[in-house]
Amino acid sequence: MTSPSFSLQPPRLAVWLVNLFTVPDNAEAIVGDLLEEFSQIAHQAGVVFARRWYWRQSLKTIVHLICTAYRAAPWWTCAGVAGGFLTHRLLWGLVEPTIFAVLVRYQIPEHHFNVYVFFASTGLDIGYLIVFLFEGCIAAIVAKEREMAAATTLSLISAALCGTAVVSWVVQGHWALSRFTWDFADTIAILIGGAIVRTHRSAHLSRNENLPNT
Amino acid sequence: MAGRDYLGEFEHIVVLALLQLEERAYGVTVRQEIELRTHREVSIGAVYATLDRLETKGYVKSYRGDPTPERGGRSKRFFRVTAKGVTAVNRTQRALQSMSEGLGLIENYS
Repeated sequence: MTSPSFSLQPPRLAVWLVNLFTVPDNAEAIVGDLLEEFSQIAHQAGVVFARRWYWRQSLKTIVHLICTAYRAAPWWTCAGVAGGFLTHRLLWGLVEPTIFAVLVRYQIPEHHFNVYVFFASTGLDIGYLIVFLFEGCIAAIVAKEREMAAATTLSLISAALCGTAVVSWVVQGHWALSRFTWDFADTIAILIGGAIVRTHRSAHLSRNENLPNT
Repeated sequence: MAGRDYLGEFEHIVVLALLQLEERAYGVTVRQEIELRTHREVSIGAVYATLDRLETKGYVKSYRGDPTPERGGRSKRFFRVTAKGVTAVNRTQRALQSMSEGLGLIENYS
């Protein structure tokens, strides 16, 4: 059975997402306001209704926070997107030569053919995934406090390109589901990169705030 | 020329909500006041985006309250309208009144 204190908690994922997208100055007030109103609604209309309300508010709030990032700090946010894009351009071409150089250097094709096949196929996909992750990290680092706005923009651009490619492949009669999965994983990797930087910065900030004033 | 000092539609609503709430104006109460009076669902993100913009323009000021247990130990951010904000809301009200004069909008279209 669920304890009352547990059931009165708002959805953790929604709380985490709002925290990710909020600038540190506003995070305490926005998350606190949502929690306060969630408790009121849960007492009046029940926990299920309150959770639905919380999700709706969180998603709308995130959209507003992304738009606000472009209005409040347009240069930094755009610089983050540009930084991520440049990182992608710089690193993308290096993945394949690097992996094959390592494979040849250690004579993998001659001695471990199965390992060679793995790295020449899935290994490449993993390499590209890391490039996208790095792209999200750089975008977030450059965008300062608007980490997730920059990472989300890059991710949406990547998803749009991916969607276009999927449609064109399907129209041509190709059904490479595993290919599509990797491509969409790349767009998620950008968001994860942004989230890593944001989480690290938030932890650093709260550590500094908790330091005693000596 | 003070032509640039008019408030946008939602800015106008938010400033009026702050004036209605006086000392009790923070995110939750502002959002609820707007919903109660306008019957439109408003997100807390939209309220804060507007309040931040109004603060940058100097129309409102914010200050932190004490942390409370129902907010998980987080403090409230209270807002109040500055003299410049009151001037801007008056100017906007006058402009709207002047523009709608003689139209009988409420009688004709309600």
